[in-house]
Amino acid sequence: MRISNDEEFKAALNELDVYQQRRVAAAFVESVLPLCSDVRVNAAVTAVKHPGVTDVELATAYQGANSARIESFTQCGKETDWLAQAGHFVAKAAQCCVKPVEPGDNLAWDAAMAARMARACESVAEGSGTRNNETEKQYRILYEHLNR
Amino acid sequence: MSAGLSRAVNVLKEVIDAPIASYFNSCVHCGLCAEACLFYTESGDPKYTPIHKVEPLRRVYEQEYTLLGRLMKMVGLVKPLTDEELGQWQELVYDSCTMCGRCSMVCPVGNDIVYMVRKLREGMAISGHAPDGVVAATKRTVEIGSPMGVKLPAVKAQVGHIQDDTGLEVPMDQEGAEYMVLLSSMEIINFPEYLSAITRIMKQAGKTWTLCSTAFEATNSGIQIGVSDLARVIVSRIVDGAERLKVKTVISPECGRAYTALRWEGPNLIGRPYTFKVQHILEVLDEFRAQGLLKTQGFEEERLTFHDPCQIVRRGGVIEPQRNLMRMVSKNFVEMSDPSKYNWCCGGGGGVSANEDAEEIRLIAFKRKKAQLDEVKPDKMVTACANCRIVLEEGLEHYQMDLPVVGLTEMIAEHLVESEPGSQKE
Amino acid sequence: MDAALFLNWVRGTGLQIAVFVFLLGTVWRLFEIYSLGRKPDLAERRHVAGASGWHTILRRSVPIPGMMQRSGMTYIAGYTFHIGLGVVVFLFAPHIKLIQGLVGLSWPALPSQFVDLVAVVTLAAMLVVLADRIMKPVKRFLSTFEDWFTWAVTFLPVLTGYFAARHLLLPYTLMFSLHILSVELLLIVLPFTKLIHVFTVWPSRWFNGDASARKGVPI
Repeated sequence: MRISNDEEFKAALNELDVYQQRRVAAAFVESVLPLCSDVRVNAAVTAVKHPGVTDVELATAYQGANSARIESFTQCGKETDWLAQAGHFVAKAAQCCVKPVEPGDNLAWDAAMAARMARACESVAEGSGTRNNETEKQYRILYEHLNR
Repeated sequence: MSAGLSRAVNVLKEVIDAPIASYFNSCVHCGLCAEACLFYTESGDPKYTPIHKVEPLRRVYEQEYTLLGRLMKMVGLVKPLTDEELGQWQELVYDSCTMCGRCSMVCPVGNDIVYMVRKLREGMAISGHAPDGVVAATKRTVEIGSPMGVKLPAVKAQVGHIQDDTGLEVPMDQEGAEYMVLLSSMEIINFPEYLSAITRIMKQAGKTWTLCSTAFEATNSGIQIGVSDLARVIVSRIVDGAERLKVKTVISPECGRAYTALRWEGPNLIGRPYTFKVQHILEVLDEFRAQGLLKTQGFEEERLTFHDPCQIVRRGGVIEPQRNLMRMVSKNFVEMSDPSKYNWCCGGGGGVSANEDAEEIRLIAFKRKKAQLDEVKPDKMVTACANCRIVLEEGLEHYQMDLPVVGLTEMIAEHLVESEPGSQKE
Repeated sequence: MDAALFLNWVRGTGLQIAVFVFLLGTVWRLFEIYSLGRKPDLAERRHVAGASGWHTILRRSVPIPGMMQRSGMTYIAGYTFHIGLGVVVFLFAPHIKLIQGLVGLSWPALPSQFVDLVAVVTLAAMLVVLADRIMKPVKRFLSTFEDWFTWAVTFLPVLTGYFAARHLLLPYTLMFSLHILSVELLLIVLPFTKLIHVFTVWPSRWFNGDASARKGVPI
């Protein structure tokens, strides 16, 4: 089934188990990874893709991604560097991939949203208008994952 | 006297009023204000004593407005203020003061020290002794519309994102809407979930609302650094937008300083009362709750505490709404010691968090918040100010405390009863 | 100079000068302060029960939670000597008689042995306050010549009054004259130093309380 809107997208993601959600989330993050140069973010994505990743490894990756996220907030009153801010949202998306899961979490959806914000920041930085095609890209990523 | 200094002295002369004169004459050097200031309590350095932070203002007052002071200046018994001294005070007035207002609460003779700091900042700014970053932020607000350089396209990008996220429309420039929602740059940039939450809440409450393309920014850093002329320009933009769109109420976002600027200082800056109401988002949400328009389900299981942002609570007067809202979604809500209007500042407001020079003292001052948290041991901290959120997260990270921080509006939205299945967590 | 002549002078001319300077000085200084005025506030006011300048005038006498633990000595010693001063000045029979002679008002006095005790406690509290000012870093940092001077100018009347009433140290006439002289010194400097807080503390508390009250925050 092709995914054509966010309602279907969100519902499909919700159907996945945590392990699958983490892997799809990692794919979403990889799409925007060039926007972030923080090694901890890379490490989080790499960790998730590893088939035998342990809870301890996930926790370590989570700490790293969280620190990367906190350190990259734009401070109140500073002039916004939109590309740097894109990096912040990539870190946030990466954090979603590796965070400890709570009941009702849809961490793949959260990662997808953060990745879209990263892309939006990039388009603001480039002055290339407010629309980008990250959403469609994410639908494709999910479709490919479901049909593997 | 340099041009900058004489401008500063002139500005300070203008802002000195009977309350300030009364305060300076009442001060008995008891030092209690220091015990209320987290910059002093955590560092032990007496230079951070609040009344000492306003010493330049006192000198101007004494030498310009008291007979004895003028005489003493004439015969050389007291020295006039120098540019160098103003420069020395920059650290005290901007790096180690968030204008949190605790000092004003404890002074036994009734001195409103934060009021004096606010006025002193006007003189500091005009003499060029305000941190570059804050001066630049004010300039950007006046020229671009936002202290952080957020222009309309960026807002539209976020709006697009939120429309995707929620499946709902975010109205722009709708004339006759009941509410005009303002955002702070911080929320637009760092916390898009805030606008997302508002969109969903407004839908459920069935209220008409709108953003304003010429006045989406609530933050007023003119007030922060103390340049009333620029602060006036910023407020006027919002007033013009609200009057053009004929809205009943303007909603100030979670950002604390935006609220004090708009609600309490705005009318005095533009010289007339508003023709619309101004409410903080928490007041609006609490009203919806009281009217039965806010339907939530489920409760947070974790032990929650609330960090009361200084500018909203102690300085803004929004005290109960957040507690009512917390209890809507939590059965395990515990107050910190010194809660509500007595709360201790996060340490980063008033331009401090963006000031690199202040980072060291800010992190030292955070020990006060850490002590409060160590005492109450929450699983999660909730607050309602974008800057507090970041400052708190940074402080927690620095002291290696594993404690999530969330925004209250966002938390309420996560508990909304909605028709779409699987749309939020319980 | 003859002790009796000295006493006559301090009780007569000296007192007249002191009271004159005190009254004129106070009126002038209060005018100087409050004529600066206050701009009206155009923001819509909140009305919350218990929040007003008047409430703050009273409530500010009570420390907020946590402050007693942080600086208990300031409050305890401070209140002790202020209350002590009030008792010694206004509830001691000879003082009441003096006031009656000046303005015609009088009221019951406390037993003089009790006032005696209060005087000792007041002196002790003032010494504690002085020690605190010397030893606490913040107080020491803030203190100027004026703080030490006004302490002395407030301490001396109580000390000399106590000595005079107990016939200690110096012959009574001389001690008594010194007491009156020390009071005259206090009266003269009061309007021109921080001692004017006697009058300004009430409007200060009111302004502060009012500023918060209009936002709906009782402080």
